[in-house]
Amino acid sequence: MAEPISVARVVRSFALTGILSVGGGRAAFFYDALVTRRRWMRVDEFLQDFTLAQLLPGATFSNLSITLGHRLAGLGGAFGGLLAVIVPGGVILVLLAAFYLARGLTPDVVTSMHGMSAAVVGLVGVTTVRMARPALVSVRAFAIAVVTFVAVGPLRLNTPAVIVVMTAIGLWLHRPASAPPSQAARP
Amino acid sequence: MSDLLLMTWTFLWLSLLCVGGGLGVIPEMQRQVVTRHAWVSAREFVDGYTLAQLTPGPTMLVVAFVGYRAHGLLGAILATVAMFLPTSLIVVLVTAQWQRLRAHRWAAAAERALLPIGIGLSAAGVYTLARTALHDVVTIAVALGAGLLLYHGRISAILVVALGGVAGWLLL
Repeated sequence: MAEPISVARVVRSFALTGILSVGGGRAAFFYDALVTRRRWMRVDEFLQDFTLAQLLPGATFSNLSITLGHRLAGLGGAFGGLLAVIVPGGVILVLLAAFYLARGLTPDVVTSMHGMSAAVVGLVGVTTVRMARPALVSVRAFAIAVVTFVAVGPLRLNTPAVIVVMTAIGLWLHRPASAPPSQAARP
Repeated sequence: MSDLLLMTWTFLWLSLLCVGGGLGVIPEMQRQVVTRHAWVSAREFVDGYTLAQLTPGPTMLVVAFVGYRAHGLLGAILATVAMFLPTSLIVVLVTAQWQRLRAHRWAAAAERALLPIGIGLSAAGVYTLARTALHDVVTIAVALGAGLLLYHGRISAILVVALGGVAGWLLL
């Protein structure tokens, strides 16, 4: 990134990207807007911010707007970027909710909603498979994902407990090799 | 009033469980807002999630739908703030320090440990949505068809969901 981008430009471009990004794989819209078209950052910078957004708690898309906004324009960019992707969708969703709940649904709308919900299951399924392919590269990673799925999905175990236990196991499996004491002295 | 606070608090702690994205918290969220507190019905929850998919921005805005159903506009606003504010502050704090933190030996371990957990949780989220949304041959076929179209074709997700709506309207 050559020079800092103004907060106003971040807010404008993020709001536009947010409004256009409907459906699954929404991070791809940011990639297209910021890396491919505007060239505000490099691929490796984007991927670093994306990994961080996935790693930290919270919705990936809003987290990503913060990490990218922060890189482009500091704190103002982080919070401006976040509001730019949340507020328009929030307003639209409340309007849809009001419509959905007030009118009572006609049978035609009910059957279309059921069809759309079924398609959404296909959509989130594919998104999860796409996410899994680059991440589940080892037997350990695969096993952790499967155990987590079975515990929280079919077994309906308490999610916080599963996260704590699986994180402890995961950290232990991937613990850094203890550094030999002589390492610091090496040239 | 106390129920409004309880709902806000519930979304706040749920937000901290979003490991690897929002989808992973769907099983626990469904348990809380449908089974435990009855703020929405199971059908409304899935429909709200579907509307959130059709709406720009993060799908976790589904909390605004639940909040609106339970407590009107104030409920929607508080649910949204509870869902996004605390985690956003964490992200801002960590992002500002990340260049320093990522050099730490445990940063890579945390990354390798958490990504598979996030994927397992997301898969459980798919499972939870499927249990309500897929209830007959048609809905199962629509889900499989949508998945195949999206996996193999360069087709927009919103169009696939709209096609699902048409299929439901014609066949259900």
